[in-house]
Amino acid sequence: MLPKFDYIAPKTIEETFELLDKHGQDARLLAGGTDLIVSLRARERIPKAVIDIKAMKELHDLSFDEKRGLSIGAAVTLNRLLHYDATSKHFPVLCEAVSTIGDYEIRNRATLTGNICNASPAADSAPALLVLEAAVNVASRKGRRSIPVREFFAGVKKTVLARGEMVTSINVPTPPKGSRGGYLKARRTVGEDLAVVGVGGLVTPSSKSSKTVRLAYASVAPTPVRALEAEKIFERDKPLDELLDQAMPIVSKTISPITDVRGGKEYRTNLVEVLTRRLLQRLWEAN
Amino acid sequence: MSKHTIHLTVNGIDRTVEVESNKTLLWVLRYNLALTGPKAACERGDCGLCTILMDDNPVKSCLILAVEADGHKITTIEGIAKDGVLSPVQRKFVEHGALQCGFCTPAAVLAAEALLKRNPSPTREEVVEAIEGVLCRCTGYRQIVDAILDAARMKT
Repeated sequence: MLPKFDYIAPKTIEETFELLDKHGQDARLLAGGTDLIVSLRARERIPKAVIDIKAMKELHDLSFDEKRGLSIGAAVTLNRLLHYDATSKHFPVLCEAVSTIGDYEIRNRATLTGNICNASPAADSAPALLVLEAAVNVASRKGRRSIPVREFFAGVKKTVLARGEMVTSINVPTPPKGSRGGYLKARRTVGEDLAVVGVGGLVTPSSKSSKTVRLAYASVAPTPVRALEAEKIFERDKPLDELLDQAMPIVSKTISPITDVRGGKEYRTNLVEVLTRRLLQRLWEAN
Repeated sequence: MSKHTIHLTVNGIDRTVEVESNKTLLWVLRYNLALTGPKAACERGDCGLCTILMDDNPVKSCLILAVEADGHKITTIEGIAKDGVLSPVQRKFVEHGALQCGFCTPAAVLAAEALLKRNPSPTREEVVEAIEGVLCRCTGYRQIVDAILDAARMKT
């Protein structure tokens, strides 16, 4: 049984701003509901009002343009995103990451915006959005702003969204030509499970012999993290194994895994190394 | 708490129900409409036994508020057999013994029906992915996957 709350489905964004202003901390936004309803049932936080964003048509927009990139409305479901041609064509890292979220049925309801607004350290889409340097478009009565996804997470289940603000869409710039991306996820079962560790990578040839690398991780710190320091190592023109030997100790300093029901701290640290090597070897050879 | 009047098409029949905002679609199907095919088990989106089809897509009805389903087409296991004749998927579940206690069967059948509609000749891997969200604690999944593949062969 769920706690008692009012349900409102505003048709316009202005109406939503009013509701957010009026209810403040007592309002929760509802998109797919696959995290929110679980949290309501667990009575983690009991809202007075649940505001369904799905009646706002513009939040269902999904579009792609080489220059502007991929624009994903807050109400677009993960399966719709996965079946959109441009996603698999230009954003394989996003495709691989999103297709590991929940299961097929969950992805029929869940949204990308919900996955990052839930701000779980294990959010599978986050490493992909981090390496793609996505931006989160936010609106409130005071105006609109765009937040780089790297600055979006504030802690476990916390984002930098201020009172009265809502995410309207996520914008993912088209990765440079010739780049290759991928996402590897360690989980306890073959089927649906949260990540023990998730690793997203993007490799782009920068000249004939050197490459730029972007790496990001889920489930190994209070928020999903990008390994900016370690990435610099890969700019050197050396064999991949040597670069990895130099980069991995720096990655270890970026992460701070804990022991929980899904895996131990030491196991997670080891998985980060194994999965990073496996992912980069795959993306490297392909170039 | 707000109350809402919602209109649904459930198994081909138009229904109007008054629901409280905090009732899930699963609750309303079971307690207001007496459709007990969708099961209330984990009620947190893990087990998938509350699976129904919403506009022909399989979803977990424990994670949907009833009021969100306003205006949508809902199919439960009760709407799969036509005039007492089992669907090919249902027949193949029987032939393959793809059930023991039967508690997950409505969900597994509905996930399979939806799969075969969007992909009439799936590979074994595609079948496994399609029923990933439905947990069975009796048989293992081999018979279930065999039954779905066999049903696909029958249809094509």
